[in-house]
Amino acid sequence: MNLALGVAGLTLGFVAAVAGIVSQAVGLRRDRPTILRRAPGYAALCMTGATVAFAAMERALLTNDTTVRYVAENGSSRTPFPFDVATLWSALEGSILLWALILGGFTLAVARKFRDRLDDHLVGWAILVMFVVCAYFFALMLGPAAPFHSFDPAPGYDGPGPNVLLQNHILMAFHPPMLYLGYVGFTVPFAFAIGALVTGRLGEGWLIETRRWTLVAFGFLTAGIVLGAWWSYEVLGWGGYWAWDPVEIASFLPWLTASAFIHSVMMQERRGLLRVWNLSLLCATFGLTILGTFLTRSGVIESVHAFSESDIGAWLLSGFAAIVVVSVGLIGWRGELLRSPGRIDSPLSREGAFLANNLLFSVFAFVCLLGVTFPLIIEALRDERISVGEPFFNRMTMPLGMVLLFLMGVAPVLPWRRTNTETLAQRLWWPAWCAPAAVGVALLVGARGIEPLLAFALGGFAAGSALRQLTLATRRQGLRGLVGRANGGMIVHLGVIVIAVAIAASNSFQHQGEFDLSEGQTARVGGHTLRYEGSRVVEADNRRELRARIRVDGKDVFEPRINQYLATGQEIGTPSVDLGITRDVYLSLQRAAGEDNPTVSIRAIVQPLVQWLWFGGMVMIAGTALSAFPGRRRRNPLDPVSRPVPEEVPV
Amino acid sequence: MRGKLWAWMLLVVVLGALLAFGATSKPMSGSSEDRLFALAEQMRCLACAGESVSNSQAPLAVEMRGLIGRQMRSGKTDDEILTYFADRYGERVLLRPANSGLTALVWIAPVVVAAAAVAGLGLVFGRARSREADSIDITDADRELVRRVMAERSEGSPP
Repeated sequence: MNLALGVAGLTLGFVAAVAGIVSQAVGLRRDRPTILRRAPGYAALCMTGATVAFAAMERALLTNDTTVRYVAENGSSRTPFPFDVATLWSALEGSILLWALILGGFTLAVARKFRDRLDDHLVGWAILVMFVVCAYFFALMLGPAAPFHSFDPAPGYDGPGPNVLLQNHILMAFHPPMLYLGYVGFTVPFAFAIGALVTGRLGEGWLIETRRWTLVAFGFLTAGIVLGAWWSYEVLGWGGYWAWDPVEIASFLPWLTASAFIHSVMMQERRGLLRVWNLSLLCATFGLTILGTFLTRSGVIESVHAFSESDIGAWLLSGFAAIVVVSVGLIGWRGELLRSPGRIDSPLSREGAFLANNLLFSVFAFVCLLGVTFPLIIEALRDERISVGEPFFNRMTMPLGMVLLFLMGVAPVLPWRRTNTETLAQRLWWPAWCAPAAVGVALLVGARGIEPLLAFALGGFAAGSALRQLTLATRRQGLRGLVGRANGGMIVHLGVIVIAVAIAASNSFQHQGEFDLSEGQTARVGGHTLRYEGSRVVEADNRRELRARIRVDGKDVFEPRINQYLATGQEIGTPSVDLGITRDVYLSLQRAAGEDNPTVSIRAIVQPLVQWLWFGGMVMIAGTALSAFPGRRRRNPLDPVSRPVPEEVPV
Repeated sequence: MRGKLWAWMLLVVVLGALLAFGATSKPMSGSSEDRLFALAEQMRCLACAGESVSNSQAPLAVEMRGLIGRQMRSGKTDDEILTYFADRYGERVLLRPANSGLTALVWIAPVVVAAAAVAGLGLVFGRARSREADSIDITDADRELVRRVMAERSEGSPP
């Protein structure tokens, strides 16, 4: 039943997407508005197909219908709510299903949003591109990554349940959907970019239309990445939140190019500059989401997240190649039209800062991409296996991060076009004094070492600059001064600064230790006393929890534990953390007390400011949301920076 | 004051002094455990899916951490310990790729790209600067236009 429903849903989705492509193509070619206005119908059918398939899979998982192979392999009757719901995205095929559902949603949303302009060819082409991407994903699920295969279970068969790492923490229910909302969201600006290239309507109108879609995708991607870091801190037991794992990098790459775009698009809107570059960034962002999926899901790179291997690799790689060929081809073809009318007047201007910012983001993305793919290149060339890991990425990205922080301090106060050093000196006076102030505070609380102190100095400077802009804006406009692109952007900057400071502090001032403790024994780490108070066992539905009771500093008791999952017999540690505003004491149980050995082995990590990472993430998301709202237009008609935006052809 | 050169010099001196103090004064002493984990962070756990020896809970990683501890107690330097592990488990155990042979490319390429980016930026800015030198002639007609529009604006909206 679920199987039939699922296959029917996928088929409906695929057929609707292909029909949509054909209908759009015919409508565009013959210029028939009546045909083009049918797009929402096909989009709704697509969405219906995806919804039916998704619902069928969820139903199969919740009822543990093992006649569906995906459920038999990844589900289990013992998996408690809501992890059984989240099982859908715990393996490759289900993830693609979630992707298709979100994509269907975005396609329908675009068709509805632009319902009054469906016969506009630019919109028509954009919707056509969305249908092509939909068809591609439905084809993936009918071909190499089929979630609905039949399975003949033996009587009493029960599946193993999802990967135990994924059923260990509630955040897993939110992290992948957020991430996918981000990934898939970038399809919309990509589709409009292609539409603009094909129609040759490269004025700024389409950019403004898709600006908010890009921000929404960016916000979700940020949320997804932060939630992923949080999950890894709460689950993986090594006290970290980011390990430069290939999957982490795969999500970070489109984030970098999208950040670059969000900045450089302002140069195009205001001055008509960098048109080719902006289109390339949009295409790269979308392409990188597919490339990232290929790198991590095809099994070419080993990673904690690479949970399956299948022949989907060839499909994803062809998809990526197609995106590159189409984008490069179209941009080359339209090269003449893309010539920017404006020029940069002076390096000491907002444009100059944005240009530098974009180069930094690009180099950053290059370093990440190089690090991920380099072992593959070496293996192909020399048949030699090497590793490129955390030490490489930390070393290479730290200077880039520092320069970005510095730019974050200077750029917001720079006016467009040009300025002189007196104006700059005047505007930067207070933000600049925030740097020594931040270093002074850090020194007072005992921080030492040039790298973290430099990070604090630059963070203080950038924060001063962002606060200056926000103060000026709220003084003029009250609370409305927090809304709008520029001011919301300053709030995003504050979030980034909080995260940068938290990363610098938690990496630089970490103390850790591993101890074997027998009952009543104490250990000291980073100025904290840990006392082992004994063990206990908790029986849950799907697992047994071996808990060690650790008293921290003679106060509260924390219980890091090892969970033994009954279905598979797998054991997985779950840390317990004494959370604090200034520092966390992170405890993880390495070995529980046994009959032959009554001691427990505990790993303890003390690091400052970790909780600020999640807070910074929330600030970033709030800022992104605020910048998606239109701010008050305060444009002086004499303002020399505003070149008139060419009108779109009215429809 | 904020435009004055001396005030900015003061700021630079204060910041420099604070940073210099922070960089040279005795750091919070790291324990030997901290050193152990810092070393373990630079090695890959070969039995795990892309995790470092420091991050993994796998038996092999725990064993390797014990081995690092023994090496440290025998008085070896960090580099000697890393070399020991590379000899024993192969180059692949090191998460920091070697800076020699073909592998050195991974270190050189970003620097080259960054240098090219900076050079490109310099070129664009250089051209901008040469244009900046051409002064713009403001005619009396321009001034009159500005005055008129400003006057209209101040009439139209409350000051």
